[in-house]
Amino acid sequence: MSEGMTGSVEDADFLLSTRGAGRELGAWVVGVAFGRDGKGAAFGLGDGTLHLADPALPEAEWRRLEAHDGACLTLVPDFADGFLSGGDDGKLLRVLPDGGVSALADFGMMKWVEHIATHPSGLRAVAVGKAVHLLDKASAKLKALAHPSTVGGVAFDAKGKRIAAGHYNGVSLWFVNSREDKPRVLPWKGSHQLVAFSPDGTHVVSTMQENALHGWRLTDQQDMRMSGYPTKIKSFSFTGKGRWMATAGADCVVLWPFFAGGPMGKPPVELAGGDGVLCTQVACHPQHEVVAAGFQDGLVLMAEIGSGKIVPVAAPGRGAVSALAWNATGTHLAFGTETGFAGLVDLSRRG
Amino acid sequence: MSETSDTVPVTVLTGYLGAGKTTLLNRILTENHGKKFAVVINEFGELGVDNDLVIDADEEVFEMNNGCICCTVRGDLVRILGGLMKRRGKFDGIIVETTGLANPAPVAQTFFMDEDVKRATRLDAIVTVVDAKNLIARLADSKEAEEQIAFADLIVLNKMDLVSEDEAAEVERRIKAINPYAEIRRATRSAVPVESVIGRDAFKLERILEREPDFLTSDEHEHNEEVMSMSFEVSQPIDAEKFNAWISQLLQAKGQDLLRTKGILAYQGEENRFAFQAVHMIADGDFIGPWKEGDPRKSKIVFIGRNLNRPQLRRGFEGCVASQGAA
Ligand SMILES: [Zn+2]
Repeated sequence: MSEGMTGSVEDADFLLSTRGAGRELGAWVVGVAFGRDGKGAAFGLGDGTLHLADPALPEAEWRRLEAHDGACLTLVPDFADGFLSGGDDGKLLRVLPDGGVSALADFGMMKWVEHIATHPSGLRAVAVGKAVHLLDKASAKLKALAHPSTVGGVAFDAKGKRIAAGHYNGVSLWFVNSREDKPRVLPWKGSHQLVAFSPDGTHVVSTMQENALHGWRLTDQQDMRMSGYPTKIKSFSFTGKGRWMATAGADCVVLWPFFAGGPMGKPPVELAGGDGVLCTQVACHPQHEVVAAGFQDGLVLMAEIGSGKIVPVAAPGRGAVSALAWNATGTHLAFGTETGFAGLVDLSRRG
Repeated sequence: MSETSDTVPVTVLTGYLGAGKTTLLNRILTENHGKKFAVVINEFGELGVDNDLVIDADEEVFEMNNGCICCTVRGDLVRILGGLMKRRGKFDGIIVETTGLANPAPVAQTFFMDEDVKRATRLDAIVTVVDAKNLIARLADSKEAEEQIAFADLIVLNKMDLVSEDEAAEVERRIKAINPYAEIRRATRSAVPVESVIGRDAFKLERILEREPDFLTSDEHEHNEEVMSMSFEVSQPIDAEKFNAWISQLLQAKGQDLLRTKGILAYQGEENRFAFQAVHMIADGDFIGPWKEGDPRKSKIVFIGRNLNRPQLRRGFEGCVASQGAA
């Protein structure tokens, strides 16, 4: 282990133990999310349960809900308050911080609700098989967007005007308000999964079945290949102003510069590496150039991109980090692991 | 392929429509063995499947390695197995039923090529159900029927009540010409013991070429486009470097024709046996236990595929023998 990175293991739990709380929840943590209104933190699990915590009182009792008959596959903040949860029982659920649950849609027992994206304007995009269903505030179905193969990920741009969906041999871009539903397809051989727009809307990036990311500059459709990773990339995230894109999938946090002509022809910056443990999750702070990262051994840390300074959040030893998220103001961080540990930390609290 | 015991075993059921695949599946599920299975079926399944956890798959074959037509995986399986792993502990095994027209290679390759699948699951066996009455006709008109036999570890020769002993013997002869390593079990209404289907661990490197088959040398029958098998043996030690160079070049050049390759090798100066297997271009190999005391240290390699050139393959394999004297 590199010197000075995490200090001793006991120290690494300092933030979790003094400003937060952790729980053993008993099943794979698939997703974590904070309500966009700052109320409520939610954890979605592989046993179909959801667990709700109060960000203001992490150590208070967490509420457990039997939500899906099967596994929770994805959990995201809804457009204004509460959460949306998709399951392998075909259900799209809306969940409130007080534990209220309502089913917004039921796609059938053998269908998987695998990817959801929401936008503050009230739009919700829900990927089920090859289709992306677009719902409005009132959960009315606006349209169903068809793709040539199963959709591996879905995202809105920052303005909520476009949707990107990853699939085999490319990413489809749809205008939410266009009357004729034909996508602009960004082609690239192979299977594309998670997708995101850069915050300024000029680039689209996808993770691939291979150990690589692919990107397109939309102005001239230039391709960007981001490869050289030892494993698949399960998580990536843009910093608030979009200068950097942080990715998991290597034994450090890999950051690609999206400024000064980058990432074309620019090497990535590596942070928090050196001990040979795989980074499994990343989440960029919503405002500052700070990235939170979770590792295969359970370590959670924050890294300041400019200085490279590392602050540990939770010590290794509780399973590979499988979910990680900031709240909208960047005062709270939540994470979960494959073996069912979940943590919630209030970084604004005095130590 | 992962060899650890905490991986979940996956059994693949293939076979033509009407051969009795779903009947076999329902037999496995309803028999009183105390095991719970997650079942992945295809959308064209003919009968209902009687199980709590059934997932409807839409077979999606994805080319990898920038579009090589033989380096394919089942994208839907990668996704489904990944999802199932998030609720592991809820079942003891997974059974994947393919459509009648499916080529088994992408399914098998998924277990070699996808790291998440490799980490969490292991391919237990490919089981092919064939209809004794119609197999010969199917082999004549379908590549997939041949491939399903070529990839099988177990072949359930079904509908035995509809054929004579002579007809059955002829069907078995044809099966063995394609794949002498598969075990054949005769059955009526897919009635075979569940333990002969589940828990075979047939893809474990330790079990490669374990069965010594009655190899039929059907040299009079070598139409090039037909799938057949060839086996070669040498009794001198093999030079590991020479073998690696030869086999990687061979798989690269002929991988599309080579459906399955398996070998057990005696490397020079090495006490342990080296086991090797490949599906098309995708190879996997490792040292397995030592040679048995007193057993001859013979190296053996088997090819199942199309357009196999016997003299060329023999020369290539014999060329891997270590030069005398070099330790
Ligand atoms: Zn290939």
